[in-house]
Amino acid sequence: MEDVNSMEEEAMTSGRQVLISVQHVSKTYKKDGREFHALRDCTFDILKNEFLVVVGPTGCGKSTLLNLLAGIEFPTSGSILLNGAPVTGPGADRGMIFQDYALLPWRSVLKNAELGFEFMKKPMKGDQIKAEAMRYLEMVGLGYAVNKHPGELSGGMKRRASLAMILAIKPVILLMDGAFNALDSKTKMTMHQEITRIWETEKNTVVFVTSDLDEAVKLADRIIVLNKDGALEAILVNELPRPRLGSAARDLDFHHRFIAFRETVMNVIKKDAGLRTCAIS
Amino acid sequence: MAKQKDNKGSQEMTARLADRGFYLLGVVLFMIVWQIASALKLFGADFSESFSPLAAMLALFEMIKNGELIHHALPSLRRVLTGLSLAIVVALPLGVLVGYFKRIEQLTYVVFQFMRMISPLAWMPIAIIIFGVGDVAVIFLLWLVAIWPLILNTSHGAGRVSPLWVNMAKTMGAKDFGILRKVIIPAAVPDMLTGLRLAVGVSWIILVPAEMLGVPDGLGYFILDTRDRFRYDQLMATIMAIGMIGYLLDSANRWLIHKFSWKM
Repeated sequence: MEDVNSMEEEAMTSGRQVLISVQHVSKTYKKDGREFHALRDCTFDILKNEFLVVVGPTGCGKSTLLNLLAGIEFPTSGSILLNGAPVTGPGADRGMIFQDYALLPWRSVLKNAELGFEFMKKPMKGDQIKAEAMRYLEMVGLGYAVNKHPGELSGGMKRRASLAMILAIKPVILLMDGAFNALDSKTKMTMHQEITRIWETEKNTVVFVTSDLDEAVKLADRIIVLNKDGALEAILVNELPRPRLGSAARDLDFHHRFIAFRETVMNVIKKDAGLRTCAIS
Repeated sequence: MAKQKDNKGSQEMTARLADRGFYLLGVVLFMIVWQIASALKLFGADFSESFSPLAAMLALFEMIKNGELIHHALPSLRRVLTGLSLAIVVALPLGVLVGYFKRIEQLTYVVFQFMRMISPLAWMPIAIIIFGVGDVAVIFLLWLVAIWPLILNTSHGAGRVSPLWVNMAKTMGAKDFGILRKVIIPAAVPDMLTGLRLAVGVSWIILVPAEMLGVPDGLGYFILDTRDRFRYDQLMATIMAIGMIGYLLDSANRWLIHKFSWKM
């Protein structure tokens, strides 16, 4: 299993450019005097333009990994290189969509989508900002609700709004933390289509954290499995052809392959029952 | 009304009128009890008559007509607004810094909690030694009473800003100044307005004793003046005016809060 993974991994890496290199990264927190390992010696690469999904049991350090990539937290040991240079803090090149909606409640949807532009060193003109914000709000299908305030939005609309807010500043890397949790299945399906379409047109790199295996298999180019000790369990390449959503999913052969791959991912996670702290790279 | 039972709009209107009616009824009942108490000479045999609401209202109309009320209310309002403005200028930036930077909060916490418990009237002699008798001493005392609720509420508002919003702003490339300007300060606006409402309340309360410090006009001064002239009807009228203006100031604040506070 390990050998197969590393071979596949190498094949992928050799063909495509490495964007982020995670090298022997560990992260420990001290809580009540005891050390708690969120991540343990993780080493892997994130490739340019790939859709990388991170799965693993609750509390295995998935969110911590995203925070480290975003630069709002720092590794206890090891390093994270972005285009070869270490990550020293947050930056507009890495847009983060948080598990809870991070919309500012006193701003309208449009004003929220404009926020990122207001932080730029050389601010654009007002109407230019508005046009850009509107473009992404239309893209996520919120063009009709731009004057509403976050308090008036449903869960799905809030997701769309935070997505537009981040997309508008054109991050090279999109970090999504449980972005579609707690959405009803229909909205979730639509959001899967939206994010796939946006990823295909905007050509950014997505790191997507989830605990929903169906979602992982639908979206991912590669799936990273973390185990409950916060160590890397496996990197699985998802060879299911795209498109995988909508009518394509109804193809019987595709469906079988889908189930089979999901089973593979599931088995890797289940193996995590024993205490294993190996890292596969 | 019975015919329109099914008409929801008119029902709501009736309910609202009933609410208004009860607010008004409270005032009327209060006046009646007050009038009866004066008629029964509960405020002393000699002066109960001039303490009655009727006498007070007549005096109030007289003071409005001859311009005495305006003559004393305007300096009072001017002093309160000057004190408040100066307090806002100092307290809002300070409150934001105290709320946002933990170290500044720790540095100032004990001092602020200690200072806010001291009645500004305790500073009265010191104010007069430093500034002399006059407007400046009064404004200083009003400033001193207004800054604490403003600082403490603003820092509370700036301190409880969701870390999620701050992290979100950081991942969008915001630096400290941008985070303060676009996230922390707007987030703290409802608390700033609450602080302002409290500050206006205490300023208006402290105004009266502060204006007894030897200034030549103002509602506080006029209270002493009417007493010296044995015009107890005018004294009661001034008390009424102080209460009414205070009520109006507070209503203006409530409107500000309603207008500019965001909700989740």
